[in-house]
Amino acid sequence: MGRINRKNLVLLFLGVLVLALLINLPNTSSIYMVRVLNMTMITYLAVLSLYVVFGMAGQSSFAQCGLMGIGAYITANVSTRWGYPPILGMAASMLGTALFAFIIGFALFRLRRFYFSFSTIALMTILNGIFANWTKGTGGPVGMGNLVQFSVGNFIFNTEAKYYYLILGFSIAASIIIWKLFRSPLGRSFMAVRDNETAASCMGVNILLTKNIAFAISGLLCGLAGSLFAFLSGYISATSFALPQSQLYLVVIMIGGSSSPIGALIGSILINLLPEWLRFLKDYMMLIYGVGIMGLMIVLPEGLVGGGKDLYAKLIKWKRSRADAEQGL
Amino acid sequence: MIIQLIVTGISLGVVYGLIGMGMVLIFRAVGIVNFAQGDFLMLGAFICFAFNQKMGMPIWLSFAITAVLIGLSGIVFQYITYWPLRNAQDKAIIVSTLGASIALREMTKLVWGSTPQTIDPLKGGIVKIAGAFLQWQYVIIIIFAALLMSLVYFLLEKTLLGNIMQATAQDKYAASLMGIPIAVAIALTFFISMLITGAGGVMLAPIFFITNTMGVLAGVKAFAAVVIGGFGSVQGAIIGGLLIGLIEVFAGTYISTTYKDTVVFAVLIISLLVRPQGLFGEKIAEKA
Amino acid sequence: MQNSSNGKEAVLTLNKVCKNFGGVVAAKDISFELYPGEVFGLIGPNGAGKTTLINLITGIYKVDGGTIVLNGHDITRAPAHTRARRGITRTFQHPHLLNRCDIETNIYLGVDLARKNKMLNSHDHKKLLDELLEVAGLRLNMRDGIDKLAYGQQKLLEVVRAILTRPSVLLLDEPAAGLNQREMDHIVALVDIALKMNSAVLMIEHRMDLVMSICNRITVLNFGNQIASGKPAEIQDNPVVIEAYLGRKRGAKNS
Repeated sequence: MGRINRKNLVLLFLGVLVLALLINLPNTSSIYMVRVLNMTMITYLAVLSLYVVFGMAGQSSFAQCGLMGIGAYITANVSTRWGYPPILGMAASMLGTALFAFIIGFALFRLRRFYFSFSTIALMTILNGIFANWTKGTGGPVGMGNLVQFSVGNFIFNTEAKYYYLILGFSIAASIIIWKLFRSPLGRSFMAVRDNETAASCMGVNILLTKNIAFAISGLLCGLAGSLFAFLSGYISATSFALPQSQLYLVVIMIGGSSSPIGALIGSILINLLPEWLRFLKDYMMLIYGVGIMGLMIVLPEGLVGGGKDLYAKLIKWKRSRADAEQGL
Repeated sequence: MIIQLIVTGISLGVVYGLIGMGMVLIFRAVGIVNFAQGDFLMLGAFICFAFNQKMGMPIWLSFAITAVLIGLSGIVFQYITYWPLRNAQDKAIIVSTLGASIALREMTKLVWGSTPQTIDPLKGGIVKIAGAFLQWQYVIIIIFAALLMSLVYFLLEKTLLGNIMQATAQDKYAASLMGIPIAVAIALTFFISMLITGAGGVMLAPIFFITNTMGVLAGVKAFAAVVIGGFGSVQGAIIGGLLIGLIEVFAGTYISTTYKDTVVFAVLIISLLVRPQGLFGEKIAEKA
Repeated sequence: MQNSSNGKEAVLTLNKVCKNFGGVVAAKDISFELYPGEVFGLIGPNGAGKTTLINLITGIYKVDGGTIVLNGHDITRAPAHTRARRGITRTFQHPHLLNRCDIETNIYLGVDLARKNKMLNSHDHKKLLDELLEVAGLRLNMRDGIDKLAYGQQKLLEVVRAILTRPSVLLLDEPAAGLNQREMDHIVALVDIALKMNSAVLMIEHRMDLVMSICNRITVLNFGNQIASGKPAEIQDNPVVIEAYLGRKRGAKNS
């Protein structure tokens, strides 16, 4: 620990620079752009949840958006309908969604590979059916509107910029926790389950429980994302939490690369900001994603981050061989 | 009343079974689950709509042309999503079919818009069978789907072509050693799979509205049929499809229209828990 | 089994363990004991049920009959991960490493298990790891992927990881298969470290020179039956064994 060398210093410097840039962003951007950034970070949190359960534990789930919906509706009910403090609503969203994922996991993880994937599609469809029809708990087809703003004590998050800092804080905190998870015993057990279930169980990893914990952690993140979404947009309905959105998250993580959280970040940025930069292509955007992901899978099956790593490795190799050749001369 | 429900349920069920059968064919041939299967159903409905409503062709002719066109598009689909990735990880292929699914949905939206459309039923009017008045189209769907199923079954089990396809499905390497052109066999599998899926789309189109998202739910239900029936089993897909169709119709009538899909998928999850290998699936052997 | 080793208590006891796959008998009434600090050889022709036996001991397969007792606990029905946490660690004939993870993650999976076993406090794993890597002749960049390693290095790494858990029972499934002489020497040195930790080592191996030189006792399997047990010298001269297995092998080696 605490090794100070040139590489770490450069990283630290870069980190501080990026952080400063991020903190300054709302001052230089339009309110609309800040809203886009906020949605990007919420997408990032949802995709990060998929990184845990899919990238690390290897279980492709199509239910993430449904879990996000659970989080959003819990927040709406607790904070707006029942009038408890918003922060309590957010905590209830995170814990409730995690608990739901943990319990339903015991059923779903009795199935393996694409059996599991399709059972999550079933779960997603069931959840969406409930969101769209349970008038009392979710407002049914009309959804729930006029949701209260997030507040801590007397400080109310009533502008887009305030939400930006709130969501940024959560995103950074979540990223650090997930980053730490990667080198932790729990994270290792996730990856062991992903790579080789037989070897994992022979190394003392409880497969079912490990998958459940991964799903619960992803539920926690989804609950957070859903809760933030509810506070930010002030209105939620079933159409926001449907299967195509869940599919999109899976596409996002595959575009970025499922081997690191950075993939989740890059994917989220692309999927949210690209339509803004390429406004004239707006109607074609989803089509471009669809075709793009097909092409990407052919060219870079490990996503942009995996492809980038490969390229970097090749570059180093090429440099070395050139240096060797020059020495030979 | 009960007979009408049963007939409606069966007619929906055979279509789900038909699409499920298409999924099973692809799964057996190349070992992947095609997440875009439902979207080819949607594409079938739209293309038939174009021939029937826009160009004024009679429904039967539109139906036939559509089925063949969708079959051909299946071959193209195979060359884009599966063939380049045949040596990659499963997850890359799955995501690639997911991409195709999104692309197909968006493409149809751009071409035909997002307002729901309708086409003519294969045969209109009412027929009286066993004292019950039934819509002709439901009866026709059952007859026609059953005919298509038996045709595919005959093709697979009784012809040389079927043997070639099955040999490829079982062991690609051995098949290639025996001089079977694998690429052709796989292309053929996709052709048949998509042809029956497209036909299913045309049959469902008069019952539901044609929208660019109609394939999502139908595709998932077809997959539910496959899973309930036992993955990889053609008979299982058909029986599973019938079960799903009947549950959907009866749940819609006796429980609640809004929750009928919820009930269908709840049944799927329960059946997965009770019998993960499905009705006709072999118990996953301990010694793999 | 009167071959008790120096009056020590048995770590692992198999009592009439049976397993069938369909109609095929993979293990029939297999009984033996493993003692700490000894190497127990399990040999037999291909398909004799050797790997199946390891799978039964580790809990990947469940027995059809008989009991398995580890340190006085009946683990016959325990799931694989529980058995691992109680001190059974294995390697595989073809290394089962996490092939999308780097070397560090693979190795620390063993440290994690050791911590779950309460066998290892956080301070001494580093020392043990360095010693094991040294003995195994592995000089690795911890952040490299598994695909950077040669086959022999992967097998050695798996053994290193297994011993890192300080197992009470170490099961080695053909550790020397596919290795060259130098790598095989590393395996022998690693097994020595395990013995110094007082692990009981069970080894499946086809290389007879290795088996005869390091095993204290040997059991011979054929078609799921235990056809002979004893010290290496006794096994070597047992006519039943020679007929079933050794004869061919020895003949092949002599020629």
